[in-house]
Amino acid sequence: MKIIVPCKRVPDPDQKLRLNPEATDIDTAALTYILNPFDAIAVEEALRIRETAKPDAEIIAVSIAPAEGEADLRTALAMGADRALLVEHDDTLDPWNVARLLAAVIERKQPELVLMGKQAVDDDANQTGQFLAAQLGWPQATFASQIEFVDDGLLVHRETDLGIEVIRTSLPAVVTADLRLNEPRYASLPSILRAKKKSIEQTTPAELGVQPEPHVRLIGMQLINSQRNCEKVETATELLTKLREAEVIG
Amino acid sequence: MTEDLSREIFGNLGETSKAVFYALAVVSSGVFAWGVWRRVQLWRQGRPDNEPINWREAFQNIRTRALAQRALRGARPKASFAHRMLFWGFLVLFIGTILVSIEHYSAAALGREATNPLFHKGVYFIIYEITLDTFGLLMIGGALWFARRRMRADSSMEHRTADWLVLASLLVLGVTGYFIEGLRIIRESTPMPGISFVGYGFSKLFAAVGVGKSNVDSIHFGLWWFHSVVAFGFIAALPFCRLAHAIAAVFSLAITPKPLGRMEAISMEEIEETGEVGVGRLEQFRQRDLLRLDACVSCGRCEDLCPAHEAGKPLSPRDLVQDLRGHMESATPSALHGETIGAETLWACTTCNACNDICPLGVRPADYITDLRRHLIGEGELRGAPATSLQKMQRAGNPWGLPAQDRLTWADGLDVPTVKDNPDFDVLYWVGCSAAYDRRTMKVARAVAQLLARAEVNFAVLGPEERCTGESARRMGDEFLFQELAATNIKTFTKHNVKKIVTHCPHCLNSLRQDYPQFDGHYEVVHHTQFLGELVAAKKLKAAAVMNESVTYHDPCYLARVNGITEAPRALLPDNLKEMPRSGCQTACCGAGGGRMWFDDPAEERIGQGRVTEALDTDAKTVAVSCPFCLTMMTDGIAAKDDTIKVRDVSELMLDENQSR
Repeated sequence: MKIIVPCKRVPDPDQKLRLNPEATDIDTAALTYILNPFDAIAVEEALRIRETAKPDAEIIAVSIAPAEGEADLRTALAMGADRALLVEHDDTLDPWNVARLLAAVIERKQPELVLMGKQAVDDDANQTGQFLAAQLGWPQATFASQIEFVDDGLLVHRETDLGIEVIRTSLPAVVTADLRLNEPRYASLPSILRAKKKSIEQTTPAELGVQPEPHVRLIGMQLINSQRNCEKVETATELLTKLREAEVIG
Repeated sequence: MTEDLSREIFGNLGETSKAVFYALAVVSSGVFAWGVWRRVQLWRQGRPDNEPINWREAFQNIRTRALAQRALRGARPKASFAHRMLFWGFLVLFIGTILVSIEHYSAAALGREATNPLFHKGVYFIIYEITLDTFGLLMIGGALWFARRRMRADSSMEHRTADWLVLASLLVLGVTGYFIEGLRIIRESTPMPGISFVGYGFSKLFAAVGVGKSNVDSIHFGLWWFHSVVAFGFIAALPFCRLAHAIAAVFSLAITPKPLGRMEAISMEEIEETGEVGVGRLEQFRQRDLLRLDACVSCGRCEDLCPAHEAGKPLSPRDLVQDLRGHMESATPSALHGETIGAETLWACTTCNACNDICPLGVRPADYITDLRRHLIGEGELRGAPATSLQKMQRAGNPWGLPAQDRLTWADGLDVPTVKDNPDFDVLYWVGCSAAYDRRTMKVARAVAQLLARAEVNFAVLGPEERCTGESARRMGDEFLFQELAATNIKTFTKHNVKKIVTHCPHCLNSLRQDYPQFDGHYEVVHHTQFLGELVAAKKLKAAAVMNESVTYHDPCYLARVNGITEAPRALLPDNLKEMPRSGCQTACCGAGGGRMWFDDPAEERIGQGRVTEALDTDAKTVAVSCPFCLTMMTDGIAAKDDTIKVRDVSELMLDENQSR
C-alpha cells in the first residue's frame, strides 16, 4: 500500500517574527523553518501503519516549497519515510492551489491513503485536506485522533467539538491528523545522516501541468503587541483605580 | 621445645589416597579453568578493548577495593561487615593452604621426610595455627551471618539453590577443618595443641565422647576425605556460582573505571561505517563492560541509592545489570532493547552517578544506560517533551528553542560586558541556557554578574554567541547533537581566546571539564562557588553571614559526587547550616540530570520528591542550591507539597549580604 504524506514547512514558532518593510507579509530573510508539527504527526502515523497493520506500506513525503524546503523533507525521511518529492515553488500558495498541486501529484502516484496534518501552524487555514478530498472526489476523515484498518477501509475517530465521532471510510481516502493521534518520534542526527542516502525526487508545478491561480490575496499583515506590563498592587481599591485608568472597566 | 612443633602434611594418608587426591585436584582445577574460560568467552563477544592497563592503578585498586575491602560502603553496614569477615577469613585460609603446599613440595624436592618440614614448624607454626584458627572463625561467622540474612530477607533478594550451597559448603569446609584439626591433635599428640585453639577444643570434645588413639585413624581419614571432596567441589563450582564475582572483580578492578561523569566518545566515521550508534546488541558493548556484568553480585547497594528507584520508576541499576548479565549468559537471548531492557527503564535514569560511585567492584550501571540510550536515539525511539527539547537544541542551540539574540535578556538594566565589549577579559562567565531563558534562573545570573562586577573582576559573557553545551543531549544519548554543539562552542572559545571559564551550572561545568577536552577544548573551568570563594578570601566580597533564618544546602550531583566540590559552596554559606542526611558526595539527586529536566512528569511521579521531603524535614527556612536544575526541581517540588520555604542559589544569598551593608 502506498501512503502519501504532504509535508509543509512552517516558520519555527519559537522565533520572533518580523514584518517585511511593506508590511505585506512576514520577513522571511532570517527565518528558520520546521516541519509542520501536525504533518510530523501524519508522518508518525504512516510509520506506525507500516510497523503494524501494513508492513508493505511505502511512505512518500511530499512538499511544495522553494529548493531549501528539501531540509524539512529530510526530517520526514529521517523519521522513516521511504522517499520524498519536492514540488519546487517559490511563492506562497493559498490552500486551494496547494490542493491542486497535491491532487496532480496524487494522480501520478496513485496512493491508497493520503495522511496529512489537519492544518499548518503558520496560517492555521485548515482547508487543504478538505479541498484535496473534494478535488480528488475521495472520502475524507478530518481531525483524526485514532486510525484503524477494518476490512478494506478505515475506522477513524474524529475529534469534534461535540465529542469523538467514529466514522468508517473506504479507501482511497484523505485523513487529516489531530494533535492527539500520536507523539512523533525524534529524528536524531544519525538518522538524518542516514536519510541523506534516500532520494528526493524534484518536480515543478509546470511539470505537473498545474498553473497556480490564486483565490486568496494577502493584502497586509500586522504584528500583535504581546508585550505585557506587570505591576503589583497593594489593595483592591488600587486595582480598581488602575483598571479605570486603563479604561478596562468603566 | 618449639623446634619439634609441626604437623605431618598428608598425615594418616597412604600413597593411594595421595594419588586420588591429586587426580581430584586436577579434575577440580580443570573444571575451574573451564568455567573461567567460558566466562572469558562470553566477555570476548564484546568490542575489543585496546586501552592499555595501568598496572600501578590496577594494583592499587585491587589492594584497596578487593584486599582491604575499603569500597564496601552504603546503607548495609552489617552485610559489609559480614562480607569482610567471610572474605578475609576465606583469603587467609586460602593463603594458608597455599603455604602448606609450598612447604610440601619444597620439602619433597629437597628429599626430606614427611616428619621433617622445611619451614612449617616452630614459631612460624605457632603463628600459622593461631592465625588460621582465628580467620576460620571469621569465615564461619561471615557465612552464618549471610545465611541468617538470606533466611530473613524479603523477596527483593534473589534466591537460587546455588546460593545456599555456596554458604553451606563454606560452613562445612570451615567446621570440618576444625574437626580434622581436633582429630589430628588426638592422632599425632601434637605438642602445644592450644595454639590451634578451636581444633584443640574439638579434640577435647572428641576425647570426651570416646575418640582415642585406637579409633581416631578411621574417623580422621573419613572426615579428611569428606573435607577434601567438598573443597574440590567448591573450587570447581566457583566460576559457576555467585562467587564468580570475585574472579571477574579482579579483572574489573585491574581495568580502572573512568572518572565519574566521563563518557566514551564515538567517532562520526565509525557510525558512518557501521550505520549504527550506541549499543543495540550485546556485542556492541566493550569487553570490559561485559566482564563487569560478571563482577556484579547483585548486592543492591546501587539500588539503595538510585533516585529513580526511590521515586518508583521502573529502574533498578542492580536489576538492569543482572538482566544484561542474564542476556549475556542466555543461549537464545531475547531482544536486548524492549524485551531485556525496556525504554522506560533507560529513560528513568538521571545519570546522578550514585550507582557508579557506590559499586565496590567498579561496575557502572549508568554507563550501560547511556550506551543503550544512544541506540534508542539513533532509532528515533524518543517522543514527546524530551524529543522536542532535543529538536530545539538542534535548531536553536538551546532546549527552549528560543532565539540566540535573546540570550542577554537576563542582564537587562545591568552593565554586563560581552566578549565584544571587553575582548581582553580574564574570565569568561558561562551563563548557560537556564539562566538565559528561564525567568527564575535569570536572577542567579544577575546575582553572579553583580558580585563579579562588585569584586571588579575582568570578565565577559558570550551573549548571543553562546550555545547549549550539549551536556544533557549527550547524556540522553544524542552524541552527534552534543558533538555538533561542542564544536560550535569550542570554535567560539578559540575565536575569543578563552582560557578560564566560571559557571554557575554544574552540568555545564562537568561538560566543559570532562566532555570538551575529548574534542580539543581545554580550559580552566571553575564553579561560581569556587570563584566567589576566592574573591571572599581576597576580601573583595563577603560571604553570606549568619542568617536569622536557618539554611540547608542541597549538593548537586554533578558538582559534589562527580566533581568533588562540596566545601566551596559551604564556605560561602552560614556556619549554622542544617545538613540533610544525604549530603556532600553522598547527595541525593533532585531528578533533573541526564536529560530528565526535559521530561514532563506529573508532580507525584517526579524523581527527587524524597529529596524535597528531606529538605523540608530539616525545618530550614531556605534551601541553598548551586545548580539551575536543582533550583527548578526543588522549587517545583516544594510548591507541589504546598510548602513556602525559599530555594535560592548560593550567589543570591551572597548578593543579599554584599548589598545590605
